[in-house]
Amino acid sequence: MASGAEATPLAVGVPADGMALRLRRRLRRARIPLFCYVALLPVLALFLYVRIIPIGFGFLLSFYKWNLISPRKPFVGFDNYVTLMSDENFLLALKNTTIYSFSTVALSTVLALPLAVFLSRPGRLSAFYQTVYFLPVITPLVPMSIAWKWIYDYNYGILNYGLSLVGLPAVPWLTDPDIALWALVIMGVWKVIGYNLVLFLVGIRNIPHEYLEAAALDGASDWQRFWRITLPLLKPILLYVLVTATINAYNVFTQVYVMTLGSQSAPGQAVRMLVLDIYTNGFQFFRMGYASAEAVTLTLIVLGLTVVQFGLVRNDPAKEA
Amino acid sequence: MDTTKPNGATSGDANSTGPWVGRRSALKLAAGAAAAGLAGHSANAADVTLSVWTGYPELVPWYQAVGDAYARANPGTKVTVFSTTLREHEQKLAAAMPTGTGPDLFDVGQILSISFIEAGLLKPNPPEVDKQLRSGAYKDVSVDQFTTDGKTYGLPLLFSTPAMFWNKAMFREAGIAGPPDTYGEMMDDAKKLVKFDSTGKMIRSGMSLRLSGQGSGIAEKFRFVLEPAGGSLIVRTPSGKYHQGYDNEAGRAALKYYIDAVQVHHVDDPKVQHDADAFVAGNTAMLFREAWVIGEIQQKNPALEYGVYPIPAWTAGGPKKTLLQHDGLYVSGRSRNMPAAYDFMRFLTNPENSVLLTMKSGWVAARQDVDWSPLLKQTPQYEGFVTPPKDIQFYLEPVLSPWNEIESRLADQLPGAYVDPTLKDNPQKVADAVHKWAMQTDQILKDADLYGTR
Repeated sequence: MASGAEATPLAVGVPADGMALRLRRRLRRARIPLFCYVALLPVLALFLYVRIIPIGFGFLLSFYKWNLISPRKPFVGFDNYVTLMSDENFLLALKNTTIYSFSTVALSTVLALPLAVFLSRPGRLSAFYQTVYFLPVITPLVPMSIAWKWIYDYNYGILNYGLSLVGLPAVPWLTDPDIALWALVIMGVWKVIGYNLVLFLVGIRNIPHEYLEAAALDGASDWQRFWRITLPLLKPILLYVLVTATINAYNVFTQVYVMTLGSQSAPGQAVRMLVLDIYTNGFQFFRMGYASAEAVTLTLIVLGLTVVQFGLVRNDPAKEA
Repeated sequence: MDTTKPNGATSGDANSTGPWVGRRSALKLAAGAAAAGLAGHSANAADVTLSVWTGYPELVPWYQAVGDAYARANPGTKVTVFSTTLREHEQKLAAAMPTGTGPDLFDVGQILSISFIEAGLLKPNPPEVDKQLRSGAYKDVSVDQFTTDGKTYGLPLLFSTPAMFWNKAMFREAGIAGPPDTYGEMMDDAKKLVKFDSTGKMIRSGMSLRLSGQGSGIAEKFRFVLEPAGGSLIVRTPSGKYHQGYDNEAGRAALKYYIDAVQVHHVDDPKVQHDADAFVAGNTAMLFREAWVIGEIQQKNPALEYGVYPIPAWTAGGPKKTLLQHDGLYVSGRSRNMPAAYDFMRFLTNPENSVLLTMKSGWVAARQDVDWSPLLKQTPQYEGFVTPPKDIQFYLEPVLSPWNEIESRLADQLPGAYVDPTLKDNPQKVADAVHKWAMQTDQILKDADLYGTR
């Protein structure tokens, strides 16, 4: 090609121009990512400083015994992890958090999905309902937890008042050790359902109408269209919802902290959660190394669950083919 | 010297000039400022900003009032006060002190201060502060508590001593002559004082115990019964080590008392309103709490007819015991204003400001050589707190770094046990539960290298 180009005068300059052009293009191509990296550098540096380094430091700390105040910080190897495996409080917190997470994620997904299908249909009040369901997502958690504490109050709570109107006995939502965890689940579902709903709604609206219309022409029922078309096409959204909801649920803290504060609150042990246990060990007992080991374990658990969810919900091209 | 002191010519003249200052006056002021600068010490004094951190938001008005008075007495000195909840305050201090970013002066309980002392973050008191602490102005026990290895650290600020608040109107209505002297009498009285509605729902508890929630406070309240019964959470051995002291008759009796109150005699219930809120609102007849509740009553229900009485003895003729907790004032070992901070600390704890502390916050000042008569004339209910009966025995909070964990771990277990139906009238299960918790206490002591039996 190059030799051919050199054969005609017109072509004499072509290779040189072509090379220059290619070089310029290459440089331009090369410059774009370089510029991007340079532009991203401050943000990456900040991310490194506020996220990656603390995570790394926390991981390292889990191999030490340190009380935050003392300059002495003896290396203890895997001792913190070994102790953790037989720590009744940690195991209880793990059990409670798992019950809370699975219940909250399952309920908020199962309830949000039909609601999203319903609200995806054109209707005058659709936007209003979406706003109503989304409000808890944007409401700050601390005041809401205090409000829920009052809603759950045995004597003055609106929930028990509602039960009394239909002749049901009052329920000690927070003070009964057998019920307190479920009271937190109810609040957790209330908080997250709007977020899941909006995500499902976006997913449903992105499903091409042709598929559903074609299925309807073929005589598919509403349920068949949902089960055979909507749900499979929603899998990526469903995966995202499950992963984010699980991560958030395992990190539950604020509402547990607020609802166990004071004398008229949930028994701490009945609603002991992992992050509360980490907080207690780290910032009340100043066992930073131990708390770090708990935090690393929590990260691994959530990571493992995320991988499992990816495996279960990921679209299988072979099956689809 | 006059230039550094309050009410001096400098501040007075400056005020009298108003917002418009003539050229001559300005020159005079500049010359005065230059002279002050040459004075060296005076200039430093004028530059001092003392930062104070407190874990008691209710003390802020007192800190500010005393800080303003101190600033007036020391022109140029400024006092800033920062407050959060007690737990957050402790966390902030724990993070800030080792990094040298803490305040000049702070109040804190001794569980944390001992960690600061062990880490070398607090310096021993200078001679004038040491002299004040040992001057006889404080209880001997306070001096002991603020002494580590023969050196004193900080000054006692306030006491946290519980007593029994009892509702006189409810007692009168129930035909009970006066507050109980023993725990047995207290239960009998509570049975007469508790009230239920027509559906059997409790609407007023006979006594308000701490039955739910989380945190060391639950175990602290459990000690109100355990200690008079003859037990202790931990016991110090002659060799200076510690072991649990409640896997015994007293521990079992204390737990049984709580279980009986909830499940057998139904004089209290986790479902009803509790604590100071319940007492102030008239929803309970008896409550163990500290002096600050008096301030709550004055503010929220001044018409409440109530009295304050010592916590009962376990049996008739037995000793009456109550907890004595100290909170201290400390100057950070890394303060850049150490002399001024110590001076302000002494100013805060002088007799007049000690009375002011109690009047403004409800907490009882730790200083003993003060005239309480103006306070008692105004609010006689304080008498049991500021001048407790001579026969009261005080038990202390051990100054140990894992103490909070010991109390909190026990507190984790107690609320569930109080309402556990399998523990009702079941001495063996009660004993098993107490034994299990006591072993956990010993384990915490072992982990901290503090365990010993000899």
